[in-house]
Amino acid sequence: MEIPRANGRGSGLDSEALDTLPAGRIGAAGVRAWVERDRAFQLQLVALSALALLVFQVLPIAHGIWISLLDFTPWHPEGDFIGLRNYGRVLANPLFYRAALPNTFLFLVLAVGLEVVCGLGIALLINRRFPGARLIRTLLLFPLLVAPVVAGLMFYWMFHSEFGFVNQLLAALGVPGVLWFNRPWTAFGIIVLADVWTWTPWFVLIIYSGLQTLPPEPFEAARLDGASAWQVFRWITVPLLYPVLSITLLIRSFDAFRVFDVVWTMTGGGPGNATETFGTFVYRLGYLTVNYSEGAAAALLGAVVIIVVGVAVYGTFARVVWGRPAGPGR
Amino acid sequence: MTVVSRPGRPVGRRRVGYWLTVAAIYAVTAAFLFPVFYLALTALRPPRDVFAVLSAGTRFSFRNFTDALAWEGVRIPESFVNSAVIATASTLLSLVITLPSGFMLARYRNRLARGWFFLIYVVRTIPFITWILPLFLLAQQLGLHGTYIGIVAAQAAFHVTFYSWIFKGFFEGVPRELEDAALVDGCSRWGAFLRISVPLAVPGIVAAGILGWIWGWNELLITLFMTTEDIPMYSKTISTFITEMGVEWGRMAATGIMAIVPAALVTAFCHRYVVAGLGGLHER
Repeated sequence: MEIPRANGRGSGLDSEALDTLPAGRIGAAGVRAWVERDRAFQLQLVALSALALLVFQVLPIAHGIWISLLDFTPWHPEGDFIGLRNYGRVLANPLFYRAALPNTFLFLVLAVGLEVVCGLGIALLINRRFPGARLIRTLLLFPLLVAPVVAGLMFYWMFHSEFGFVNQLLAALGVPGVLWFNRPWTAFGIIVLADVWTWTPWFVLIIYSGLQTLPPEPFEAARLDGASAWQVFRWITVPLLYPVLSITLLIRSFDAFRVFDVVWTMTGGGPGNATETFGTFVYRLGYLTVNYSEGAAAALLGAVVIIVVGVAVYGTFARVVWGRPAGPGR
Repeated sequence: MTVVSRPGRPVGRRRVGYWLTVAAIYAVTAAFLFPVFYLALTALRPPRDVFAVLSAGTRFSFRNFTDALAWEGVRIPESFVNSAVIATASTLLSLVITLPSGFMLARYRNRLARGWFFLIYVVRTIPFITWILPLFLLAQQLGLHGTYIGIVAAQAAFHVTFYSWIFKGFFEGVPRELEDAALVDGCSRWGAFLRISVPLAVPGIVAAGILGWIWGWNELLITLFMTTEDIPMYSKTISTFITEMGVEWGRMAATGIMAIVPAALVTAFCHRYVVAGLGGLHER
């Protein structure tokens, strides 16, 4: 009978498992039995999660791939196999390539860009001793806990054409009010503003905790050398924060790509298609107009687009900043 | 803006600059809180003052709140109860299934653990809009669409990747010597996990649970796909306000404020947990 080695091929056994071996049970049969029980324990630990993930995410994705190859609608539930035609239809849909995709990327760049700039600024601002620091740091997190639908409601109300605070302020200054949600660019701008309001605190929190962990030596050396505040920021603070910034940018970009709540609440994609994004497009196509197959194709296309763009952006960022490619394991 | 590494209280000439910076911090905070303040003020005005929110002086009333709760056809109390029940159930369910999975990731380095981690990583990058439409179709075929089980399962499934990842980090912070001691003393593997490791990770679990609950409470897209009008939920209700019935601003503001209350209470009372959770949740 062979005793499995710590790195035994295919046994899935790790050295840590052997380290935890209870003393006094070193016989070969004992080891084998113990290891087998350990393996069973590992499988038991992961079983429920794996089941949930497979049934509710992996299986739907596979089902979505299958459906995207059919022409499946409530009126035609048997669904004939039509190959990649649904993908062609989505790609040829002007609403997809002229409205949803450009709007989503514009939103992503504007919103995430503003969020990281404001987040960095505020994090640097509160990274000092001042009266009421604890209270302020807590209050600044508050928008993060407000639902995007409520944020949408709030910003819609502030920019309401008749009773909104903004137009009342303009009226008090003698400026005629603006129909904010009837013009493409103002409607788009307010959606970006609401998203920036919601997510800037997240960047503040993470960049601030990043600042807390920076070593003090480079800053002291720079001060002794007479570096200006801007030089310290540009050549010490920002480079030291690159790892934090790159990860937060990536995570947040993935989230911003599927923006839905705030758009759906405020404009529903309008006026016209001016604020149609990928999320509202798929919801409208796949659910409201029950084009299930085309909706599934659009959803999969979106996933491919965001993964390719995300990996490309992150890879470029990593190469430029750290001079080495980035991998999933980091 | 002076950017210096954690300056103390300054003296002399820099004093003015210091107080200007402090003023800027307070101004930024006020700007961030203003939208909520304005919504709250709208909600607290008598219904006829909705057009004069800032200039109505000291005229306050809870009329909007009582009106909103009694609003015929909108079913606001029911939607709040539903949202709370579903967020609670899905958070608890996902904690039960993902705690062991996170523990597995923290304690094993073998091929199964690496494979599971990779699967989580891949699924996590796929936007949930991609799987929610087919899931809705599957749920329809299985008769789960528009049921409590359907929406709870879909929300809990969303948490699986995220929580497994987070709990990996939390359990890596729990020293395994304590488990080993329990094992030597005759505890079973599950016993050591449930009686030693889980209790030691409670702060992290609470943080993740609170944030998961708030996420479920606020979530809209999965809700729209997985529920029908038989299960009113507040995020759905509010999102119809603007497009369909844009006249009752006072009641809408009151509903919005009532929706913020759980989050506000949580921030006030569990501030330390929430900050730790938010930081931990996203940095890993």
